Amino acid sequence: MTETAINTKTTDSNLGLWLFNPFRFIAGFKALLLGLAIILISGLIGSFSNTHFDGVLDLHTGAAAPMWFFLVEGLIDWICLAVPLFLFGLIVSRSAFRTIDVLGTQALARWPYLIAALAMLPNANQRVLAYLMSKLIQTAPAAAINPADVLVFGFAMIVVLLMTIWMVALMYRAYAVSCNIKGARAVATFIVGLIAAEAISKFAMFLLVRAFLVSP
Amino acid sequence: MKVLPAVCPSCNSQLNVKSLICERCQTEIQGQYELPSLARLSVDDQGFIIEFIKASGSLKKMAGLLRLSYPTVRNRLDEIIERVKLAEESKKDGKEKKL
Repeated sequence: MTETAINTKTTDSNLGLWLFNPFRFIAGFKALLLGLAIILISGLIGSFSNTHFDGVLDLHTGAAAPMWFFLVEGLIDWICLAVPLFLFGLIVSRSAFRTIDVLGTQALARWPYLIAALAMLPNANQRVLAYLMSKLIQTAPAAAINPADVLVFGFAMIVVLLMTIWMVALMYRAYAVSCNIKGARAVATFIVGLIAAEAISKFAMFLLVRAFLVSP
Repeated sequence: MKVLPAVCPSCNSQLNVKSLICERCQTEIQGQYELPSLARLSVDDQGFIIEFIKASGSLKKMAGLLRLSYPTVRNRLDEIIERVKLAEESKKDGKEKKL
């Protein structure tokens, strides 16, 4: 009796759950290892197309930099959100939760940006962005673009937008599950945490760029 | 086997036990007995608690057994704890009202 009773309630694993709340099934150290691997691979892929993850929710094509720079950006983004949410958890949650669950689930929540980094890989994106930039600062275009480039770029932008929305949804679920917070308290503290994390990560990126420029 | 109802289907109040019967000799005892707090939980929650005890109270073991993450299992336990507390409070309130 008991096993069936538990199973009906707790193992309704389906695709929707795995996509939007994988933390029901995976958390802790496993999630941390997997999440860190995904963050580093995303940074590595980003380095091929100079795609920078220069903020918790940011993805921009920019200047060339050494590979470590792209890897560190991803790690900064992760920790800048995990720490404020952990602190909010300590204040708001009535449960005793584990630090490793907050760190692990927040790392894994960044996995949609791996897809976004892949979408930014084609050179067409860089050509269109260089063209748009030249138009913006009113200089001669660095390279000509064709309709196929625009199509690829348009597709990449849609993918990046969808992946950002998905990532935020995963970040929220990660916070709610790992700290056991529900309802309005969860939504409000998550929004405040996310805004704070975005600001902190931007400041951390500024320090990173400064350290990079100063380094010999 | 039939599921023991804990809540009245008409007014949603807690149900009490009126009679108990010996399966072997059919001796029947009648009275008014309160259901213990654990018996007032849903079948799912009771099943969870039994498995939790069988896993020596280890949430890690439970997570492995149910193929769920540790925080999911811990959150479920926290929910059950809340329900047990509520059941005990309502029991206490009921007794105070009688007095």
